[in-house]
Amino acid sequence: MIPIEYYLILSAFMFIMGVIGVLTRKNAIIVFMSIELMLNSANLTFVTFSSYLGNVTGQLFVFFVMTVAAAEAAVGLAIIIALFRNKQTVSIDEINILKW
Amino acid sequence: MTQLIYLTVLLPLIGFLINGLLGSKIKNEKIIGAIGSGVIGLSFLIALFSLFELLALPEDKRQVIVNLFTWLKTGGLDVSIAYQVDQLSITMALIVTGVGFLIHIYSIGYMHGDKGFWRFFAYLNLFIFAMMNLVLADNFVLLFLGWEGVGLCSYLLIGFWYDRKFEKSTTSDAAKKAFVVNRIGDFGFLLGMFLIFMTFGSLNFTEVFARASGLNVPTYVFNFIALFLFIGATGKSAQIPLFVWLPDAMAGPTPVSALIHAATMVTAGVYMVARCSIIFASAPAIMTLIAVVGLLTAFFAATIGLVQNDIKKVLAYSTVSQLGYMFLALGVGAFGAGIFHVMTHAFFKALLFLGAGSVIHGMHEEQNIQKYGGLKKYMPTTYKTFLVASIAIAGIPPFAGFFSKDEILWYSYANGGLIFWLIGVATALMTAFYMFRLLTLTFDGTPRFDTHHKHPHESPAVMTIPLIALAVLSIVGGFIGIPEVFSGSHGNLFHGWLAPIFKKAEIKLAHYGSHSHTTELVLMTISVIGAASAIWFARKIYLKNPQFAVNTAKKFKGLYKVLFNKYYVDEVYDFTVVKPILKGSESLLWKFTDVKIIDGTVNGLASIVEKTASYIRKIQTGVTQFYAVIMTLGIAVALFWIILSL
Amino acid sequence: MSIEYFLNSLYLIKPEIAVTIFLVLIVLLDLFFSKKNHLLPFFAFLGLLITGYFVIEQFDIKGLAFVTNDSRAMVTVDSFAAFFKTIVVITSLYFVLLTVNSKEMDETHDRRGEYYTLMMGMVLGMFFMISGSDLILLYLSVELVSLSSYVMAGFAKTSERSSEASLKYLIYGALSSGLMLFGISLVYGLTASTNLYELNALIVVSQANSFVLMFALLLIFAGIGYKISAVPFHFWTPDVYEGAPTPVTAYLSVASKAAGFALLIRFIKVSFVFDKDTLGFWSSNPVFNWQDFLIVISVATMTLGNFAALWQKNVKRMLAYSSIAHAGYLLTGLAVLSDTGLIAILVYFAIYLMMNIGAFLIVILIKNKTGSEELDNYDGLGFSMPFLGVSFTIFLISLTGLPPTAGFIGKLYLFMALVDAKMIVLAVIALLNSVVSLYYYIRILKHMFLAKPKENSPKEELSLQQILIVLSLVIPVIFFGLYFSPIVELAKNSILMLGF
Repeated sequence: MIPIEYYLILSAFMFIMGVIGVLTRKNAIIVFMSIELMLNSANLTFVTFSSYLGNVTGQLFVFFVMTVAAAEAAVGLAIIIALFRNKQTVSIDEINILKW
Repeated sequence: MTQLIYLTVLLPLIGFLINGLLGSKIKNEKIIGAIGSGVIGLSFLIALFSLFELLALPEDKRQVIVNLFTWLKTGGLDVSIAYQVDQLSITMALIVTGVGFLIHIYSIGYMHGDKGFWRFFAYLNLFIFAMMNLVLADNFVLLFLGWEGVGLCSYLLIGFWYDRKFEKSTTSDAAKKAFVVNRIGDFGFLLGMFLIFMTFGSLNFTEVFARASGLNVPTYVFNFIALFLFIGATGKSAQIPLFVWLPDAMAGPTPVSALIHAATMVTAGVYMVARCSIIFASAPAIMTLIAVVGLLTAFFAATIGLVQNDIKKVLAYSTVSQLGYMFLALGVGAFGAGIFHVMTHAFFKALLFLGAGSVIHGMHEEQNIQKYGGLKKYMPTTYKTFLVASIAIAGIPPFAGFFSKDEILWYSYANGGLIFWLIGVATALMTAFYMFRLLTLTFDGTPRFDTHHKHPHESPAVMTIPLIALAVLSIVGGFIGIPEVFSGSHGNLFHGWLAPIFKKAEIKLAHYGSHSHTTELVLMTISVIGAASAIWFARKIYLKNPQFAVNTAKKFKGLYKVLFNKYYVDEVYDFTVVKPILKGSESLLWKFTDVKIIDGTVNGLASIVEKTASYIRKIQTGVTQFYAVIMTLGIAVALFWIILSL
Repeated sequence: MSIEYFLNSLYLIKPEIAVTIFLVLIVLLDLFFSKKNHLLPFFAFLGLLITGYFVIEQFDIKGLAFVTNDSRAMVTVDSFAAFFKTIVVITSLYFVLLTVNSKEMDETHDRRGEYYTLMMGMVLGMFFMISGSDLILLYLSVELVSLSSYVMAGFAKTSERSSEASLKYLIYGALSSGLMLFGISLVYGLTASTNLYELNALIVVSQANSFVLMFALLLIFAGIGYKISAVPFHFWTPDVYEGAPTPVTAYLSVASKAAGFALLIRFIKVSFVFDKDTLGFWSSNPVFNWQDFLIVISVATMTLGNFAALWQKNVKRMLAYSSIAHAGYLLTGLAVLSDTGLIAILVYFAIYLMMNIGAFLIVILIKNKTGSEELDNYDGLGFSMPFLGVSFTIFLISLTGLPPTAGFIGKLYLFMALVDAKMIVLAVIALLNSVVSLYYYIRILKHMFLAKPKENSPKEELSLQQILIVLSLVIPVIFFGLYFSPIVELAKNSILMLGF
């Protein structure tokens, strides 16, 4: 059996990758994908613990997170499209008229 | 009815709101005047019924506290809008609403045609509202609110005719002076309040006074508290050294002088000291100080009054002098006598001011008594009532002033000593003298004005009726305080009525040994004879031999000038306090401390704040990812902190 | 789980069910009667009133709903929840009124159906944030509120600012909730539970690995801190508040902040506090030093909020920073970790609702006439629009915390709670912060009353409805400043929370 640490390290790795993606990528869509990555790392943690602890709550949680992720993606893409209509760009660096 | 006592406070407020908000739209003087006076009249009736209810109660139950609502309650600090109805507060409430009502009525006539008619009544009502809070409060906070409130109204009303000249400056300068001087006193009062709260852990009268007589508090603490409170009282009640604002306060309309600067507000200090009698009784040094300050104020103000020519100025100094009397009474532990004098003084001094107002009104704003004369036949009612008031203030029996003044003189002899009595009597003689000088110069003799161009006239009934009412009160008002010498077994009714309030303080003072009726009678006779001869003297000089006065003035030119210029107190203050402060503040405070240090510090602080602010603002770059980085860094820092603390 | 028990649980979530029904009804009405969608605000208003009735009913009820076999309750109904739900409902009612009276929203009228559906969704989410007692439900409700508010912030979709605000909000919110979710997954791994009541006992057991636990709690706090805009999770606030339509800004600044606070308080109190002494001070689990943590966060939050507000030229943005500062004050009340602190928070929230909504309302009404929120365009408005000027003055004085307004009472109770807990330094810092805040609030007044009015400045011209709405906020601000014991009594009765 694969030790639990492997799963956790993998999920931590995914999580960090996700965070770094959010912090550094300029394209809003890729930023979104990074956020999905973060959510999925959490999902991985949940199922890992769920199986390790023999407790179904974690798996339950994953279903909800997947739903939320889908909703978030839908809303996110809609907003990006609305912004693109206004500014013809999806580069995060260029959306900064609101500041100070 | 006692439970409805808050209405006596609320009604004037309602009047203020109606007149203040809608007055400019109503325009009709009759309606405004009716509202303004009506609310005060109703208040008076409620207070009167409360008095009857109080009388029906057994003596030890005569304290009703009506808690309207608790504004703040935390630990020892309990700030409530709560009114305490007891013998002292209801007496004051009756004086304020009763005399206030008459003065409101009078003002309808006096202010007729003034463009600020509605404003005037709004302010007057506001004043009564504040004053009722002051006298009915059951805690120091509410009392202080009332205290500040009456100060504000006084300021507003002194400067009421802000566009008129007053003496060398404007009315608003006089208002400012009153305001500033009062602030000094208020600061003292505030300090006293803090000390009380620190010492007794409460600001509620009942609790503070119970603890003041129960707790073992060192005398010096009491001394400080009493001193600070007394400083507050000297400001409000125009005692040495803070009396200078009151004569200038005469810049306001005459009804204001009558109501605020004679009958009610200026007695707030007396009321406050009487209310805190137990605290003052525990501070013997301050009691002596109060007596001395009162005595000196009474004496010096009377000497100034001897030579003034402005009718309102004479009355103003007379007021200062009479207030001095009241403080003398408080200082020698005769709290009841002090309050008694507050009452009788309210009657006759209000009457004097209103009479003076009637004269000024009839003489088309002329205030110099040297330019009056022979007004008796033009304004008979004013003359008769003025005469009654003059006799009352001179202390001729059986008029009201006699009983109260004599009680004070007697206690100052019994508790203070012969010297107190002597100066007190000398003051009384001077009072009789200058009052009859005023009366004679104004109403008797031949007119010293141009009778062809000036046609003095009697005031309308709306003004004379309050005069008559006050005259009646000045005659009979003293009968409730007939001393034991005359009333025998009944004792002094007024004194007995207030006795429960001051019982604890009087036990603490405990100098009621030498109560010989014979001595009292002898002293009384001397002072009455003295006053009578002063009156005779005044009439003789100013009626028959006016040249004598001029000659005397010439003979004692130096003294006369000193008196005429009010001991140069204003100048001295100007020179020693105001100018140095101005100069000092300009050179030291402004140019150095302010510009360099304070401005430097403040500007420095402000610019530090501003600089920091502008940097902090810049953090918000507008770039989302920058935000995300900072947020992640924040978590990292917190994590680091946690690792360190593990 | 018997059917009876299930029905009882449904009974306990009556308000939430009412909101859901109205949400669905609004969607249906919009779908089938799109011609008459101008009636939707009334309908939403009605729905909120009915919901509010159910909420108020719950003030005396306490109960656990949806308790599973292993005795885990998903939803807790208690007077604490009822208090915050009332705040949410009242804010939502004003939100409808603000929207109706805002010219800015005119262009979105054909999308009213979506707008009120989203609002109802937010209300539902906030209700569950307030009374949820399981991390699953809490995460879902936070997401529900967030997703609705992302869209609402960008509702003026032709406006560049609005859509920028929306995207920033989305990225920042998604990141925070992602962090929170990861934190939750770690907590789950450590304790094998997601239920707040169980965590209380289980967290002690898992103390062995306290570093991971603390990391997880920190991540969870990131999610909540973003909702209440605590530093350093506040960055979205000024941008989103400035860019979003003003009614939405007002709504976010009060309602979602209230829900966030309710969540944070319940999270801390239920999961970490295990006892309280006679004076009402809580003893919390030493595994995480909430007190020090919250003190640092609150000081940072109020200082940053106030300082950054100093230089703002846009009134809405200034109010955004001011709302951050207010979150800081509120956090000090929580940092006390005592019943008095909690009472102070509740009192403050009730008052904050009135004055903040009031301030935004005035901004909306002024913008209706002048078309601007820039401070320079406020010059002389005190004279050309006296009613709004005076009302704004009252709200700003209240926000500063000066008597005789209700804001003073709110601050007073907070400071008293701090002094009670001997946290004098914190009290002094909060006081100094209020002094700084005076400066920028006064600046608005200076522009309104001391600056020369612009030529052709528009007249006031308010409808009776607008005047009444303003008065309905001005009068309580003054009234509760003078007579505040009802609020305090209500707050005292509302700190009852199930569990420790």
